[in-house]
Amino acid sequence: MLLPLLLLAACSHEPGTDSQLYDRYRQRADLTAAWVEGFRLNDTVKVDVLILVADDAAAWDTLRQEFNIRTTEGLTSWIGDAGNPVHRIQWTDGPCCKAIAAHATRTLCLYSLRDRTEYDALLEYQIGRLEIEN
Amino acid sequence: MRFDDLWEREELKGLTWRMQREYPAAQQRRRQRWSAMTAVAVTAVALVAFFTVQTSPSRAPRGYDMVCCNRTTFPDSHWVDLAANMLTAEML
Repeated sequence: MLLPLLLLAACSHEPGTDSQLYDRYRQRADLTAAWVEGFRLNDTVKVDVLILVADDAAAWDTLRQEFNIRTTEGLTSWIGDAGNPVHRIQWTDGPCCKAIAAHATRTLCLYSLRDRTEYDALLEYQIGRLEIEN
Repeated sequence: MRFDDLWEREELKGLTWRMQREYPAAQQRRRQRWSAMTAVAVTAVALVAFFTVQTSPSRAPRGYDMVCCNRTTFPDSHWVDLAANMLTAEML
């Protein structure tokens, strides 16, 4: 009789172990933090995405400092460790994070990438979407 | 009284005695069988429901597994669309 209860417990929705950043930022009152788990890039590859939207300019400035975003206009993107980003678009070995910051909307998106396969799938997804839109 | 009548009476007595002795045990066995069948049926229904819920399009929409947010300002689809749109914006 315990089996159904165990199955229902397993069904409960909690972020995965890869969501420490979300756990940290969801406490903040000056921004909206959203965690998308299993964002599908293709039939086989899914990645986790952390989205942070600052409420005001002050909160956005704080985020920029925390993520070492030096630019102030347009779109900034980089690949690196989420906590210590490297401002260059270049693959680094091992798990990393692709970040895109939109200054106008004070939005920061962080895509967790565990390996080269996920990185390649992300690029293919971007190209595929671009082709659909054009 | 004839022998046949005596025999029948004794046989009836015996039957009554056996019923008095065995009926509670049979009743208990029936209860146990019923409980086991109920447990099996409940487990089967729970399993079907679990896998239906897990694969249902309304609970696990195509494109993502789950969304958590510290505010309830927007629906889940907003954040999934935003994650996709940011990737497109980077390419433009």
